[in-house]
Amino acid sequence: MDEYRGRVGVFVAVVLCVMVLLTGRLAYMQLIQRDTFGAEASNNAIRENLVRPARGAIFDREGTLMVDNRPTYSVLLTPRYFPREAGHRAVFDSSKVRLLARVLAVPDSVVWAKLAEARTRNPDAPTRSFPEVSFEQFAHIQEELSRLPGVTYEIRQTRQYHTDARASHALGYVREIGPRELERRFNDGYRRGDLMGMTGVERNYEMYLRGKIGTEVRLVNARGLDIGSFDNGALDAAPLSGYDLHLALDAGLQAIAETLFEGKRGGVVAIDPRNGEILAMVSKPDYDLSTFTRSVDRETWHYLTQSPDKPMFNRATQSMQPPGSTWKMFMALLALQEGHITEETRINCPGYHPLGGGRMYRCLGRHGSIEVREAIQRSCNTFFFETMMRTDVNTFARYARMFTFGQRVLTDVAEQTPGLIPDSSYFNRAYPRGWTPGYSINLGVGQGDMGSTPFELARYAAILGNAGMYHPPHLIRELRHRETGELLRPTLPAPVQLPIEARHFEIVRDGMRLVMEAGTGRNIQVPGHTSGGKTGTSQVGVGRQNNSVFVMFAPYDNPVIAIGIQVENAGFGGVVAGPIASLMAEYYLNRSISPQRQAMFDRVRSLRSQVISTGT
Amino acid sequence: MRPWYKQLDYGLVAAWIGLLFFGLVAIYSTTHGPASEYLLDTVKRNFQRQLQWVGISAFVVFVCLLIPARAFRNLSYLAYAFGVVLLVVTLFIGREINGAKGWIVIGTVGIQSAEIAKVGTLMMMATVLSYRPPDSSLLRYAIGTGILLLLPASIVLLQNDTGSALVYLGLLPIMMFWSGLPLWMMALMIAPAVAGYFSIVSMPIALIFSAVFTIGIWLTTRKTFIGIVGGLFTFGVSLGATFVMHSVLKPHQLARIQSFTNPGADEFRSGVGFHLVQSMAAVGSGGFFGKGFMQGTQTQGAYVPEQSTDFVFSVIAEEFGFVGSVVLLGFYALLLIRLVHVGAQMKHPFASMMAAGTAGIFLIHLFINVGMVTGLLPVIGIPLPFVSYGGSALLVNSVLMGIVLSLHMKRDVFSLYGR
Repeated sequence: MDEYRGRVGVFVAVVLCVMVLLTGRLAYMQLIQRDTFGAEASNNAIRENLVRPARGAIFDREGTLMVDNRPTYSVLLTPRYFPREAGHRAVFDSSKVRLLARVLAVPDSVVWAKLAEARTRNPDAPTRSFPEVSFEQFAHIQEELSRLPGVTYEIRQTRQYHTDARASHALGYVREIGPRELERRFNDGYRRGDLMGMTGVERNYEMYLRGKIGTEVRLVNARGLDIGSFDNGALDAAPLSGYDLHLALDAGLQAIAETLFEGKRGGVVAIDPRNGEILAMVSKPDYDLSTFTRSVDRETWHYLTQSPDKPMFNRATQSMQPPGSTWKMFMALLALQEGHITEETRINCPGYHPLGGGRMYRCLGRHGSIEVREAIQRSCNTFFFETMMRTDVNTFARYARMFTFGQRVLTDVAEQTPGLIPDSSYFNRAYPRGWTPGYSINLGVGQGDMGSTPFELARYAAILGNAGMYHPPHLIRELRHRETGELLRPTLPAPVQLPIEARHFEIVRDGMRLVMEAGTGRNIQVPGHTSGGKTGTSQVGVGRQNNSVFVMFAPYDNPVIAIGIQVENAGFGGVVAGPIASLMAEYYLNRSISPQRQAMFDRVRSLRSQVISTGT
Repeated sequence: MRPWYKQLDYGLVAAWIGLLFFGLVAIYSTTHGPASEYLLDTVKRNFQRQLQWVGISAFVVFVCLLIPARAFRNLSYLAYAFGVVLLVVTLFIGREINGAKGWIVIGTVGIQSAEIAKVGTLMMMATVLSYRPPDSSLLRYAIGTGILLLLPASIVLLQNDTGSALVYLGLLPIMMFWSGLPLWMMALMIAPAVAGYFSIVSMPIALIFSAVFTIGIWLTTRKTFIGIVGGLFTFGVSLGATFVMHSVLKPHQLARIQSFTNPGADEFRSGVGFHLVQSMAAVGSGGFFGKGFMQGTQTQGAYVPEQSTDFVFSVIAEEFGFVGSVVLLGFYALLLIRLVHVGAQMKHPFASMMAAGTAGIFLIHLFINVGMVTGLLPVIGIPLPFVSYGGSALLVNSVLMGIVLSLHMKRDVFSLYGR
């Protein structure tokens, strides 16, 4: 026993030294440097998730659901957790790939291919290899998640479109925020993967629709799996969904208009003249908004942006075309208000305007001595050439601006291009070597150096129908919050009465009534209603079909709908644009198309715009 | 004579039970925590399996108590041979787990042969050293036992199980010391390892250590020859290790060795440093009182690889904090100090050697394991005795405990001078 005493002492001393060393190390790590090491642990185990709010839904004026959200499920793969190729001898085994393939109901080779693709991007980061799997597959994946390290999922909200009416340009498309946009909008609370309205009301009401992003602090394990809430959710912030948009748009009317517009190019806007509510806004060719709920492939994107069809271009508010004869009411009002003519003033129409010797400025007929009502009814060019001769371009421009031509209006229509309204400075710029009345006389019949959009024409029709009262047009009626019930109404500019005497408006309105009863619009009168309208046929160049233009309002007394429409390269105003507008008005007023007009409906629907020839 | 149960060393039994309890608590936390549903099925069963192994181990300890003391000494040849054969067999039919081909799988049970062979090796060494006449040359015996030890140790090294091989090698100086080798000789044996360690951490420290050691051992022994040997051992290893690290090893091998000095560095973090970063985060974030049972975010998130086996200490440190860790170390202190005293009480050199060797094995395991988990030492995969999940290790350690308890219980009838 004694022989060991010294050794016992040494051994025990060594043991105690080890204990002191380890205890010291622990004290250093756990007591002194705790924050250094602890930080690492909390970075690890805690993940802040964004909880995306539900984007506001969009309803039409009747409360019909047009747009809401739908979850899509994507499966993400992190290649680092998978073997490189089938049969590769590694710590991984291929059974995981087989299981994943079985769950997703695809061949193994597809999973291998997706892995290889993801690996070329970033082997350590999850790649969205299977976007949009079905809910059943997603549920299956969730069950097997513990056996599938390296597989994660993502639930995203995408837009879902419900009505027959596409209303692509009015609603606008929504897509994931791009990197540059994100950089710019980061401080507004945008994060990677957020949806963002890019056009239409989706863009214009983006800040109301998107809601407020929430956060939740979750515990995650080493494989990134969520294993529960942190601190019982004390740090979580619930998301707040966005406002629902209630549009003035009539989905039924919109759908009818889109159907009638099939195969044509152009646009139509229908406005309620009493309050400026936009009832329909169609631009054709259009595109399917749900294209953007998935990633858009190169070919589709090329078609959307580069093809001559320009499907994303909102012709209803951006396509500037000469208004043609629909412009004549404007000229009449200008001349009446300026005293260039009176109700009874008669102008002789020999079939042409004498300026230019009878060859340049021709009328469609020989109307003889004609006064303003009849001139509108029979669309006499000579009469309006003469009214233009009696005015000057600056007065012309001033009146045009009264009618909101040539300008963007303060409204919730995101994409607008002002039409062209020339004044003297325009002519000075355009014709530096001098210009004569011959340069501007065409303006009297809506031709020459001018242009207007269907949206402008609709505003014009509404003002005419309303005898000079202009209500700023707008797409939405109200914003309503589904959860809080909070109601927001758009603040609109005040209505404006145009400084033109009401009796002048009555003369012009009467002319428009005559058009529909006994003029170029006699075949397209709205059954059961009196209305006012005016056809227009504008020439757009050699070898191109004329543009078909029409403006109308109905009923004649106290109109509830005003329409402005342009159909490119499709013929006379009374042949295409007129019938479409008339059928729209009929549907809106009667909620049906009468059987007698079914043939007209089918005929108009089958008409096509002249194909745009490219190259030659 | 006193009844057998009064002869039992209850301090050892208490430490043994305390450590088993700690282990079960930690393993339970890794398998039954709030996030256990995300664990693999094989991991979920760990607690149950460990509980079964605890039962088996308790039974084996009891059996050891029944075996006559001399039988152990007589069994040592057989145990040694069995261990070596098992190691060799494993080389051929073994299964590779975590890079080491050290497992024999029978049915669903895996046996780590390096653990099993420890028992026989220790018994053999104790037996050989106990035959030594008191006046004979210790050095000759030292070389003999060294060869006995090197055989299994080198096979273990061939299995690519560096950690276990280190335990074998570490046993030699401890056994030598216990059989009476002078301290300076011990120091000479350990010095190269320390010099090697320092040359990984920092070359200047390694050189300073070498100088201090060389001068120290010369001053202690006043023998020029020993001073030169000491200098050769320390400076040689320091320079040699540096040369090997920079000229022989490939960069990834070097990274693996050096990663523990700075595991959070970018080049190590995602690879070899990952274990350490995670386990140090677990330990550090535990703080004074810990995060609470089944509340550790690192543990429940399974961030620390091997957290129920080699890195089990991180679970205790995270969930029970500094207090829990110190209590655990206290149990080890009790275990080791009792073993040393028990060894001193033995009346037969074989029994004494067994106790000291057992204490040595546990000490090496404890030091390397906790040193590794806390980032003091490189990641060397060896378990924490009685606490880590793993049947073979638990059984073997319990057998060693059982033998020592048994020998100690019968120390009066098993002595050189006894019957």
